[in-house]
Parts: sequence; structure tokens; C-alpha cells
Amino acid sequence: MIAQQILNGVITGSIYALFALGFTLVFSVHRVLNLAHGGVFMVSALFAYYLVTSGVSIWVAAVAAALAGGVVSGLIEIVALRRLRRFPPHVMEFAALITTLGADIVIINIGHKLTDAQTVRFPFGTFPNVFFNLLGLRISFLQIAVLLTVGAMLLFLMYYLYRTPVGLKLRAVASSEKAARLMGVNPDAVYLQTFFISGVMAGIAGVLIALSFNSISAHMGEPYMLKAFVIIVLGGLGSIPGCVMAAIFFGVAQTLCVVYLPPGAPDIILYSLLFLVLLVKPSGLMGSAAAISIVGRRA
Amino acid sequence: MNYFSQYLPLADIFLLALGFAFSQQVVLRAGVFSVATAGFASLGAYCSAILVTTYGWPAPAAIAASLLFGTAAGWCLSLPLARLRGIYQAIATLAFVQVVIAVMLFATSITGGGLGINSIPKSVGTGTLLAAAIITGYVMFAMQRSGIGRAFDAIQQEETVAAVLGVSIRRYHALAFTISGAIAGLFGGLQSLNTYTLTPSSFSFTFVIMVLGYIVVGGRRSAWGPVVGVAFLTLLPELSRGLAEYRPIVTGIVMIAVMIFLPLGLADTFILSLKRRKRQGNLVEGGTHVRSAS
Repeated sequence: MIAQQILNGVITGSIYALFALGFTLVFSVHRVLNLAHGGVFMVSALFAYYLVTSGVSIWVAAVAAALAGGVVSGLIEIVALRRLRRFPPHVMEFAALITTLGADIVIINIGHKLTDAQTVRFPFGTFPNVFFNLLGLRISFLQIAVLLTVGAMLLFLMYYLYRTPVGLKLRAVASSEKAARLMGVNPDAVYLQTFFISGVMAGIAGVLIALSFNSISAHMGEPYMLKAFVIIVLGGLGSIPGCVMAAIFFGVAQTLCVVYLPPGAPDIILYSLLFLVLLVKPSGLMGSAAAISIVGRRA
Repeated sequence: MNYFSQYLPLADIFLLALGFAFSQQVVLRAGVFSVATAGFASLGAYCSAILVTTYGWPAPAAIAASLLFGTAAGWCLSLPLARLRGIYQAIATLAFVQVVIAVMLFATSITGGGLGINSIPKSVGTGTLLAAAIITGYVMFAMQRSGIGRAFDAIQQEETVAAVLGVSIRRYHALAFTISGAIAGLFGGLQSLNTYTLTPSSFSFTFVIMVLGYIVVGGRRSAWGPVVGVAFLTLLPELSRGLAEYRPIVTGIVMIAVMIFLPLGLADTFILSLKRRKRQGNLVEGGTHVRSAS
């Protein structure tokens, strides 16, 4: 029984990790909390829904939705953030929160209009509904897909950041935009790329999460945004492996709280936990100060 | 007379929003990135509503209690949070707001849970709200002109310099939190006695966004900032009914545009340009003007 609960928790945590990875990537490179991430996530899910209902297979729809997420996220970078980089960092930090929040409001309300404020669902059988029994635990094909995707995304990000020339540029811009510019790196291109990748990840997350819970609505991103805050703080702001570990820890903790505590209590505990972590160890549970500065933190 | 009375509810909304905007402005002005206003307002609102409905307190006493409760909450929150900076502060205060909402939902026997508290007797009219808003506005204005205002400005612009000049950052951040809590508590109490009902979702993330929007659009420095911001974001969509449907989208676009093109906000940019014009005028008339950099 408890083993099944822990497995469910790991899967819930992986779902949070799916969402939080793209969010963390942007934060680690830009030092910007992209509050529109939830909006991008919703756009992709909605886009996949429209494609599936017009007869496209879910696999094609998922790829298209991921690309759509990337494009929307890139647009947000160009419209809402590019012009802010002329401000000094502490002004930019505030300004970026406001503009991405503005972008999020706009996106969510367009989604709201498109769906007529309704919750829409994928038609039954969009994704093969198969269950496996693994050592007496029950796990669905979709859940395995979620776990595999999180693993693949994590590997891809680590490879991309630390083993490719593009990743090197990205880390250079993250540690000092000025120095990178002098070395012939175009920061605007790097930022756009980061946002595109982050958007693609939000897109994949959007489709998988929409399939997992089979519900898509304009406001579907909001609860995940709040959880993503908890996760990136727990994992160490800007640390990518820390983010995945924190997400899984959070998922397990939440599932166990929901099972063993009265309803309503888990939220109090989890947000108080966030509060405490920020007070006691703002660099997060996994991320030492040094680990953050590798991925880039302008102190 | 009829013409005015149909706009009275709108005036109430405007004045309440103005109060919350002042509360948000105080912290931003001191360089504290707190979004805790929603939490303080929620505490204040529940405090008044419970005292009036369950314990039968008279309205003025309940509102005074809200004010005190908000002040105390602000001061308590400032103790741990003065250690954090920037985004960390924003996330921590957002966590505080979430904890407040979760507690209000959880403590069903006291707060009514998700259904909230209904049929609160309406004992606060537009006049009271107007008085409260004017007094708060005056306090803000006076504070801006005093040493506290100058210290806030110094901290907001460059903390290191402020510290070197002998401004105690910890003390002024604590002060900003406390004042913000007091104002939000007061207006939270007023709102619950003005609008009949109160639910935990009245002061949720949406509220946080709205209040931030007022200050961003209006401006962070002058006491006129919140007035302009609230007027722009609440009155315009209400008066032009065609836009009302697209109100959130317009709010979002305005937030982006103002931040990019007028990062100081409408009121502050206007005041700054007035000052510049005046200074240039003096230069032309008075010839040499040594103390032009103020």
C-alpha cells in the first residue's frame, strides 16, 4: 500500500518536474522568473487538443504543440523581456516579473475566450490506456511515458548545457553578459534560444499533463506555477538536477500528506515548508551556492 | 442625484483598491519586493468579519482591531523576511499569501472554509472609505516628505550606498512591512464590512496581480502613483462598457507597455517631466544655476 503511494508520489513529482524544468532553465540563465510559463504550458495543451479533435494523431499533435510552445515562449522573450535588458539588474528583476505576469494574463485570457471558460477533454482513447503490473504495483503506460520524458529532458539539458558549444555560450551569457558579448556571443540569440527550449519543454509538459488528468482549461497553469516556485526554491534556485530531485521529493511528500492528513492541511504544510527553506537555507536543499553559480547567478 | 448614486459602488471599489495599492506601494518604495499585501488584507478582513458576526463587536472597534492585527502581522513577517532580497522575498511573501489562504480554507469552524463568511452587516459606506483613503494618502504624502521617505528612496536606489550613509536597512525594511501590514489590515477590515461576503479566494493570486498592476501603472514613488494606477485600471474599463469584457487582456498589455516604455509609471514620469521643465525654465531665466542636480 505504502509502496504504491510512494510510486504515485514519484509520478506526481515527475509531472511537477516536467513543468518546472523549463521554468528553472530560464531562471538559471536569465535570473528571470518567467511567470508566463504557465500560460505557454496551457497554450500547448490547448493547441494539442484542437489538433486531436480535428483528427490529427496524438503523436503529431504533441510535436506540433511542443513547437507551438517554443514559438510562444520566444515571442514572450522578444515582446516582454528584450527591451528590459537595458535596465540595471535589480530593476530588470522587478520589471521582468511584471511584464511576464502581464504576458501570462494576456495569454490566459485569450485561452479563456477561446474555450468559452469551459474545461475541455481529449476524446476517449486518445492515448493508449494500458496498465502494467510491476512487482505488484500498478502503473499505466502514460505514467511510464511521463517518467521517461522527465529522464530524457534532464539528460538533454545536462548534455546541452555542458557538452555543446551552444551550451557553452549560454553559460557564458549567464555568468557575464558583457564578457560574453566581448567574446563575440550574441546574447539576444542565446536568450531567444533558452526561451524556445523552455517553451518546448512547457509544451511537452502541457500535453502530458493534459493527458494525465484529461482536462484542459485556461487556468490550468496556475497551480503548477505555485508549485514550481516551491520546487525551484527547494532544489536550489537555478540548479537543474536539484529541480528534478526537489520535484520528486515534493510529489512524494504531497501524496503522503494527502493520504494521511485531513484535507486542506497539505497546502499549509507545503507552503510553510517553502517559507522555512527560504529563511533557513535560501540556496535550497540540493544547491550549494557554488552549484548555482555554475549555471549562472549574477550576484 | 440618481446619476451619482449609480456610481457609488464603483467609488467603493475605487477607494478600497486605492487603500490596497498604498499598502503595496510602501514596500516597493523601500526596495522590498513583497506581495504580502493580499495576506495582510485577508487577515484584516477575517478579523473584522469574525469580530462583528460572531462576537457582535461594533464596527469601529472591529476595524481598529483589523488595523492592529495587520500591523502585528506585518511586523512579525518583517523579522524573518528582512534577511531576503529581490525575487527570494517575492517568493517568500507569495508563500505567506498561500499559507493564509490555506489556513482560511482549513479552519472551517472559525472562518467558514471555502464558503467564507456571508451576510456581514454593511456598516461601512462610501464616506468612511473616502475618509480612510484620504487619511492614508495624507500619511503616505507626509512620509514621502519626511526622513523616512528619503531613507526609503536611498535604500530602493542602492542598498550599499544607503548602508554606508548610515541608513539601517533592516529597520526601514521592518518599518515598510509594518506600515504595509497596517494599511492592508485596515482596508481589509473596511472591505469585509462594506461588501457583505468574504471568501478566502477574495485575496488570492489574482488580487496580488491586480494590486501590483496598480503600482506598476501608476508609479512607485509619489503618493499620486496609486491614485493614477487605480483610476487607470479600475475606472476606465468600468466606464467604457465595451472594453469591460477584455479588461484582463487590456490590463496585461498595459502592464507590459508601461514597464517597457515608462518604467517609472504614469504619475512618476509625469511628475519627473514637470520638474525637469521647471528646472530648465529656471536655468533660462536665472542664468547660471549651480545646484541643478538634485
